Amino acid sequence: MKFDPYLILAALPRISDAALLNLRIAIIALCLAMIGGTALTVVRSLKIAPVNLVIRVMLSFIRGTPILVQIFLVYYGLPAATGLRLAPEVAGIAAIAINSTFFISEIMRGSLPEIDGGQVEASTALGLPPRIIWRRVILPQLFRKISPMLINEGTVIVKGTALLSVITVVEALRVAQQIGAARFRPFEPIIAAALMFLALNLTLMLVGRLLERRFAREVR
Amino acid sequence: MTGPARHPPAYQPPALCVSNLNRRFGSVKALDEVYFEIPKGQVVSLVGPSGCGKSTLLRTLLWLDPPDEGFVQVGGQYLGREKGPGGVVRYQSRREVDRIRPRIGMVYQSLNLWPHMTALGNVLLPQIDVARRPAAGAEANARRLFDRLQIGALADRRPFELSGGQKQRVAIARALAMEPEIMLFDEPTSALDPELVGEVLALLREFAATGMTMMVVTHELAFARDVASRLMFMDRGRIVADGPPRQVIASQANPRVAEFFDRVTAFHPGFRQDAPSKE
Amino acid sequence: MLGLDLSIIWDNLPLFLEGARMTLFIVLIAFVAGMSIGALAAAAALSPWRLLAWLVLAYVGLMRGIPFIVLLFLIHFGLPAAGIRSPALVSGTVALSFFAGAYYTEIIRACVRALPKGQWESARAIGMSPWSATRQVIVPQILAPMVPPVVNCTMTMIKESSVISSITVAELTFSGLVVQGNTFAPFEVFVAVATIYWFICASFAGLARLFEKRLAGARRNQGMTPLVGRYLILEGKRAR
Repeated sequence: MKFDPYLILAALPRISDAALLNLRIAIIALCLAMIGGTALTVVRSLKIAPVNLVIRVMLSFIRGTPILVQIFLVYYGLPAATGLRLAPEVAGIAAIAINSTFFISEIMRGSLPEIDGGQVEASTALGLPPRIIWRRVILPQLFRKISPMLINEGTVIVKGTALLSVITVVEALRVAQQIGAARFRPFEPIIAAALMFLALNLTLMLVGRLLERRFAREVR
Repeated sequence: MTGPARHPPAYQPPALCVSNLNRRFGSVKALDEVYFEIPKGQVVSLVGPSGCGKSTLLRTLLWLDPPDEGFVQVGGQYLGREKGPGGVVRYQSRREVDRIRPRIGMVYQSLNLWPHMTALGNVLLPQIDVARRPAAGAEANARRLFDRLQIGALADRRPFELSGGQKQRVAIARALAMEPEIMLFDEPTSALDPELVGEVLALLREFAATGMTMMVVTHELAFARDVASRLMFMDRGRIVADGPPRQVIASQANPRVAEFFDRVTAFHPGFRQDAPSKE
Repeated sequence: MLGLDLSIIWDNLPLFLEGARMTLFIVLIAFVAGMSIGALAAAAALSPWRLLAWLVLAYVGLMRGIPFIVLLFLIHFGLPAAGIRSPALVSGTVALSFFAGAYYTEIIRACVRALPKGQWESARAIGMSPWSATRQVIVPQILAPMVPPVVNCTMTMIKESSVISSITVAELTFSGLVVQGNTFAPFEVFVAVATIYWFICASFAGLARLFEKRLAGARRNQGMTPLVGRYLILEGKRAR
């Protein structure tokens, strides 16, 4: 069974087309997750005991269970339990976004202590309300600090979209599997799919590196 | 009747000898034909405007940032690049370089103490790891240095528990413990509260009085003028003035130097004539 | 509201536990292998040899750039194409090890880069060898900061292992799919499966937290006053 690189090229057009769907799903999920994660972090900082407890439990669940199982729960389990049936793509976006929201909040939690406390003191001494302190002092610095990790989370999301092939979303990997099944040559189309994901994520990482460089320049 | 025969003093190589240092970063010349010799016991202050290459020079002296050309000799021993008999140039192995490095005692401006160890640990680690001294001897040495620097009680504290001045003394002890030929101080007063500056300068003066060879990069011009026996003025990678402090300060020979000290005098009118402050 | 039929879960528990055992096995091997790969690759990337650093970058880029499921399929279908026949379990574990290794590499590199440059320099300046400086000055200082991301990453790995179900390895998720096929009760089944993963991860996180506390004893944020804590600390009681 020889390796045929021509097959990779042959599979690329359909797969790259499908990859756009991956991209769209990822972007929507990431935006939702960043908003949600920031909100969650601010809420957590209020340290309202019952709220934080619930959040801790949910966080533990989301962090502790595989995305694939979460996707199954939303797509298969939700209809069985509540009768609410979501389209595969919607279910996928929902599961991924919820998942990332909690992870992003944890990323923020990890880097918050590195923020110079003196600035918070000074801002409060100047009479700035917490809303402004968050928005103007803490979050800008925090996002600069965590931007590499956010990009990382972005790549996680893009890769999560590949899992949606399991629940019949016709994205790049599923198309690759279809081509592979049709030709009885599973390996080459998957390489094509891999290349597409690489392209997506390398672009994302390039964006991340540009951001890092820009932020590093600001510090200097 | 002649007295006891006087033997000429045994030849002592200079503590630090630097020749033809050149270092270029892109189009900028950070070190431009730097030559100097520091004999044992001399206290040199290195002065210059910011960006003149002082930090590059210090890193080059330790061969942390090798120069494009040039040689560094510590106590007569080449560091990094060696010139053998017949002018043959040889690059030393990393291990050789590592072995010679501690003969230059470096006290950084940011001190760079290791925060995960106690003060004592900071001074023990190089002795045990690099100089391979037995632990007992190393500890005795460390404690002795701490006592001399009056931080004996702080040996078991961690750096984050110490004040700036105390941390600096630990950093000094760490370098001294390796018994270097020459001590380099990079801006020893700039990271401290103003009231502590006097203490540091007094300490450096004490060291000078005991005959320690020192090169102090500083902008404390009073120190440069009063404690150092030699002042080197560096500008744009070059040593443009080198001599007894008062002479360099008063001289109008080099316009750059004169301008620099003119500006200082504008702030401290009696600077050029001031008597050295009381010991 | 949500009627949970616990009997389904209870009856199939042995199957689930069998799957969990397999998951743990895979993850343990992948963790050890992955950390070894990560340490080696990080050292290579931080070394002065540019070629090594570039190779490591390519490896990390590849692992981070493709979804694990794609990597899994590549190895699973690629090995036979190269003439190597091995059970799906092996492909799964190998894939997971390489996948995790790349993330560990990045974590170690990031933690080392976060240290002030002077730490390394002062160690070298006083004559310590690179190995000594790494072991005595760098590593002790990166262990504590490494723990949260490594824990995060390892928990990711535990969960990524569920993807291995797609090449029919009898791990936990696969057992869930099997039971779901038999009972047509996806909600109960996946809640059960999720709970078991949850238990595994929570135990792991708890252990890691203990470990982190022991390591981080000496670290302290200089500016942490109660006011600052109101913003920057996310745990603990609300300040009155």
